[in-house]
Amino acid sequence: MSRRKRFELKGNHNSTFALNVTSMTDMFTIMLVFLLQTYTTSEVQVIPDKDQALPTSNSEANPVMALQISVTRTQLKIEDRVIASLQSDDFTRGDIDPNDTNFIKPLFAALEKAAKEEKERDAKYQANLAAGTPEMIKDAHGNLIPAGKPNPGILDGKIIVKADQNLSYGVLRKVMYTASMAGFPKMKMATVVGN
Amino acid sequence: MRKLRRIKTLNPYEFELDLAPLLAVMVKLVPVLLVSSAFVQVMTVETDLPQAVKEAIQQQEQKPTTNIQIRASTKDGIQVIIAKGGAQKTETVPMKEGNFDYQTLHKTLQRIKGENPEVFKIELTPDSNVPYKDVVRMTDEARRSRDKTVTFPVYDAKENKTVKTDYMFPDVVFTNIFDG
Repeated sequence: MSRRKRFELKGNHNSTFALNVTSMTDMFTIMLVFLLQTYTTSEVQVIPDKDQALPTSNSEANPVMALQISVTRTQLKIEDRVIASLQSDDFTRGDIDPNDTNFIKPLFAALEKAAKEEKERDAKYQANLAAGTPEMIKDAHGNLIPAGKPNPGILDGKIIVKADQNLSYGVLRKVMYTASMAGFPKMKMATVVGN
Repeated sequence: MRKLRRIKTLNPYEFELDLAPLLAVMVKLVPVLLVSSAFVQVMTVETDLPQAVKEAIQQQEQKPTTNIQIRASTKDGIQVIIAKGGAQKTETVPMKEGNFDYQTLHKTLQRIKGENPEVFKIELTPDSNVPYKDVVRMTDEARRSRDKTVTFPVYDAKENKTVKTDYMFPDVVFTNIFDG
């Protein structure tokens, strides 16, 4: 005669347990959809500076390859390099040409230098390509591309101006004027997506 | 008598979904996207236009008939000056509670565009003390009709017919850059 087993309450006495991942999967799915939606496919990343509020616009044009100029309420920068400073919503007197109040001397010098360097890089790059001996480097995706490829935007005289929305048009006008004089007449204004 | 233990089998129409590979992909993708995402989407103000509108702008550049200028001042508001055939007309959009009245400006520009559908270019001349955000807003108001039901005719030479577009004045030029 077999002895009946004593009834025991089912409890989690051992060290194994079943993990319910449904809620985590839900959360990850929502996050993934949100991130994919906000993911930008633009070839150029324009990142606003610290303490810089870009104006809002309903423009849907992605940034293109160009030289990036940033104007905050205190500084003027080219590609993160401080070129001139601002005080009380205007450039400091030392940076402005005394004979031409719209001309920013250090900006003109920096833009001229950037254009010259880019032209030299382009000439070297074209010579290497023609000789069939371009130095190859890996890009961000691991693909081999010729090294020293120039920025076509700079060669074409394009600039992207990231300017604080609270600056006056007078400051921007000086930047546009100097950039035009330095051979960068194609200006694009960086804005934040909004209505 | 001991009961026979039934082997647990799934119904042929039921299956257990293995979420482990899906989770593994998500766990890898989410941090990659979090790191590489730009949460502030920066765009640029420029004109990326349909072919018919581009051609119409080129035609207007060859034969300029009407010139439209927007003057903005924090004191007097916005003045829209229309020069056509030697005559000049000025429309004023006064300030509203210390700010530019964009709603009236947009309606005024819609009306002007309706009267001059062949014009795509405007000259913008803001005063030096006008805030930059207002300058960008003015270009926004001028570029496209906000009301999608309000459209304007443009002749498409390739299709040989008139099409409708919501573009008003997409070609915005700052004409006072070289002023003293």
